[in-house]
Amino acid sequence: MIFLALRYLLERKRQTFLTLLGVFFGTMAFVSVSGFFLGFQGYLVQQLVNNTAQVHIEARQDYLSDHGLDTSFFGDQYSHYFWNPAPAGVKGYLDVQSPQMWYKRLNADPRVEAYSPILTTAALFNLGKISVAASLIGCNPLQQSKVTTIADYMIAGKFSDIAMGGNRLILGDELMKRLGAGMGQIILVSVGTHTPVPFKVVGRFYTGTRGLDLQSFGALEDVQKVNLTPNQVNEIAVRLKDYNQADTLARTWSKLASERVESWGDLTMNIKSMFTIQDTLRFTMIMTVLIVAGFGIYNILNMTVNQKRQDIAILRALGYDTFDIVMLFFSQGLIVGVFGAVFGLISGYIFCKYIQSIQFMPVTPSNPQGHLHILITPMIYIEAASLAILSASIASILPARSAGKLTPIEIIRQGG
Amino acid sequence: MGIIAKNVGKIFGTPPVQALSDISLEIKSGEFVSLTGRSGAGKSTLLYVLSSLDNPTEGSVEISGHEITKMDSEELYRFRNQKMGFVFQFHYLIAELTAIQNVMMPALKYHEEKKRRPRAEMLLEQFGLKDKLQRYPRQLSGGEQQRLAIARALIMEPLYLFADEPTGALDTTNAETVMNILRDCSVKDGMTVIMVTHDPDFSKMAQREIRLADGRVVD
Repeated sequence: MIFLALRYLLERKRQTFLTLLGVFFGTMAFVSVSGFFLGFQGYLVQQLVNNTAQVHIEARQDYLSDHGLDTSFFGDQYSHYFWNPAPAGVKGYLDVQSPQMWYKRLNADPRVEAYSPILTTAALFNLGKISVAASLIGCNPLQQSKVTTIADYMIAGKFSDIAMGGNRLILGDELMKRLGAGMGQIILVSVGTHTPVPFKVVGRFYTGTRGLDLQSFGALEDVQKVNLTPNQVNEIAVRLKDYNQADTLARTWSKLASERVESWGDLTMNIKSMFTIQDTLRFTMIMTVLIVAGFGIYNILNMTVNQKRQDIAILRALGYDTFDIVMLFFSQGLIVGVFGAVFGLISGYIFCKYIQSIQFMPVTPSNPQGHLHILITPMIYIEAASLAILSASIASILPARSAGKLTPIEIIRQGG
Repeated sequence: MGIIAKNVGKIFGTPPVQALSDISLEIKSGEFVSLTGRSGAGKSTLLYVLSSLDNPTEGSVEISGHEITKMDSEELYRFRNQKMGFVFQFHYLIAELTAIQNVMMPALKYHEEKKRRPRAEMLLEQFGLKDKLQRYPRQLSGGEQQRLAIARALIMEPLYLFADEPTGALDTTNAETVMNILRDCSVKDGMTVIMVTHDPDFSKMAQREIRLADGRVVD
């Protein structure tokens, strides 16, 4: 029956071509749009996952509620207290309470790739008459390099240079520019009302993200001294062997101690929502194209069934059964679906490769060629082909079934 | 073995119309029978019921010892493909296929292409279409199209040939050619031929004439 189905399709070249074009564009759109969206999502996730830790263990600080201090101040003396004004702000600790316990736990967990204790504080950087407020991050550079990709963004000096101690700093490019500082210069760093401490600039990094480039890194011990908080850390950044486990591990760990444990996903909920919206949009758009293509197939096959009633009658008289007749028309839709899908996949692939090869965006350290990030993965192609063929099959089965129900005598009596 | 119809009745349409009433007849193997009568007498309906294309509402039809209404669909389609040939007033050729492909269509059903190809060529040669094997139906005359349709009906060497006014759309010369072919099928090849016709002259070419009026056999 495939032989006759092909003959029918070739006989109506223009209609076949137009129908095929619908499936072709639908499939190509799926491959291209999915490649764009998923590539972008992947890039963003990679940036989030690689540039920052995947799990953050931080000192717990909760917002105060209206009656959050009742017991602390008055015990159980009265059943209700009226505050004027009501308590506000945060309560909790400024540092991780039992870091040693966390180190022990993290060292023992096989899912943990690396971790880095951090002390982050707000500091004022002074050079001559210029003062800039920015974050000062104290860390062990070797451990920090294993947890984030910050060392890859060094444009002067090495990230490990701060390991030697002795008040050395690595500044972000933006902070350097604002201070007008250069390599080797001494700048004064003060935290709160404490006495300013001189630090030597030994490195410079540039991530392309202004917020990050306004940060500075120093050795953990040096920052603890400036902050007058020896041996304290306010965060432990953790890198996992599989970042997809971050949510689960964060939930488990948060039950083990009073610290707040958050995964990279918890911190980027809005981005995850954006991904969901993108995915919905992507599927809606592509399904619309494929449904339109499906309607095209349905209409043309319906018309063909009506035009070929005489052929159906004679085929039945020649001994062809219902299944043969259904397959005669179903296979036409399927052929259009398969060929449309194959051409669509090939064109989509070529299109993605081409877009990937040209510069679209400004060059940044994370995207040195300025290319669009397009995902080319077999799963997209399998999904696109399956959807195209499924849409063509659903569109074909109804006319094919109606053809299968026609009896020869019915057609002959009606004069074909 | 032939065809045996017992008390066959057929009602169809809304309101119900009694197209055939209590028809009992026997057509012997190798016989050439014509079904005649006025328009609406039930000739074509009887032909379709005898040929399994339509089911009787009453009675039974037996072909080669098989009762048609009791055969399962697979068995019936195979029987129709292997043992029956059909010729209609209109040729019902498939426009997208060449002459030889049209003739070969019944053979494709059970993958007998190689086996039947020589017979297809022989039939087309016999019917004067030897040099038109690769032509499409639209490139043939009315007479040629009908001969092609007969060749298609004969490709599987059927035991029964059912013809519903096969000359109805042809001129006299072509009609005579078609009638000679049908007679030869019966006389030379021993095929059972059942033909519906309006034409008394062609009816006389058959060995037996069955006349119908108001859905009953009258003669």
